[in-house]
Amino acid sequence: MLASEVVQVMVRVISPYIGDTMSRAAAEAHCQKLGVFGGLINDEQLEALLGKVGAGLNIFLGREKAANVMAEVRRELRTGAVAR
Amino acid sequence: MSGFGGRAAVAVVLAAVLLFLAWGLAPEAAVFRDAQSQHALLALAALVKLALLLAGALVAFACRDRLDEGNPARPAWALLAAGLFATLAGQLSLAPYQLVSGQSPFPSVGDLYYVLSYPFFIAAFLVFLRAYREAGFPMGSAAERVGIVAGVGVIAVVLAVVILRPVAAGGEDLLERILNVAYPVLDLVLLLPLALLLRIALRLGTSRVGLVWGELLAGFVFLCLSDMLFAYLTALGQQHVDPYLHACYVLAYGLVAGGALQQLRLLKA
Repeated sequence: MLASEVVQVMVRVISPYIGDTMSRAAAEAHCQKLGVFGGLINDEQLEALLGKVGAGLNIFLGREKAANVMAEVRRELRTGAVAR
Repeated sequence: MSGFGGRAAVAVVLAAVLLFLAWGLAPEAAVFRDAQSQHALLALAALVKLALLLAGALVAFACRDRLDEGNPARPAWALLAAGLFATLAGQLSLAPYQLVSGQSPFPSVGDLYYVLSYPFFIAAFLVFLRAYREAGFPMGSAAERVGIVAGVGVIAVVLAVVILRPVAAGGEDLLERILNVAYPVLDLVLLLPLALLLRIALRLGTSRVGLVWGELLAGFVFLCLSDMLFAYLTALGQQHVDPYLHACYVLAYGLVAGGALQQLRLLKA
């Protein structure tokens, strides 16, 4: 899966909570820290990215709500993968 | 609080703010002129402030309760609640005078609690900033952060010189002068972490968390403005602007309580 697609899905799902700018900036910052500089993202990197973004959301939304939002991101990513 | 309750609270706050603004704009109007009306308005201001501070403190503490023990924002909400409880204690100390005799003594024991609230608020904002940084949210480069703090610091110093000159030169008693200097100085210190949080809030836009921070920060900006105006105008002996100060404080406490309530709704949703 392309990292840019993952970021796009994350931004779409998370932006109602923390805004488009913050969602994109946070997702891209975590991608950089994980060494994902564009191109493909592997499963391990994807799990780490979801974990990091979820932990960040936890600060604003609490554990339960953040987990629900990240589950929605996972669903969207799976749906996108199946559609391809 | 239900959606209807929330809207009713907003309507009460706005009505109170408009009433105090009207009082300030037309103090000679028949409805505001006599001492009985002024006593009633002061009592109303005291009760609205108490209600908003109690609501804000309880809701901020509920936000702390809804977050897990390991959540880095949890202590920040606890500190914010503590600051609001301290402000509430200050207002509670002042309220009997305002309700019974229609006077607001200054200095009073309430000032002890008002001053005590500042370390809690400043600590709360610093803990929020640390929590957001640790969570990996972009906080800007170190140079950018230093630039913001330095910019606000310069504005704060200029404001401090303008505000504190008449205050320090005032002929009131020593405690009054100390407090009139302490409030603006503490407010200006509070503005430094507020400026960094404002940068984050702007990035949150009109999202749900953005609305939480928009209300909270607007509330604290009004609180700082109110305190600085209070010190400046008290030093100049301009008591006739009290209605505007009541309007500012009611708006500040209302916005802070509203922001905390938005956060609690977000945590409960």
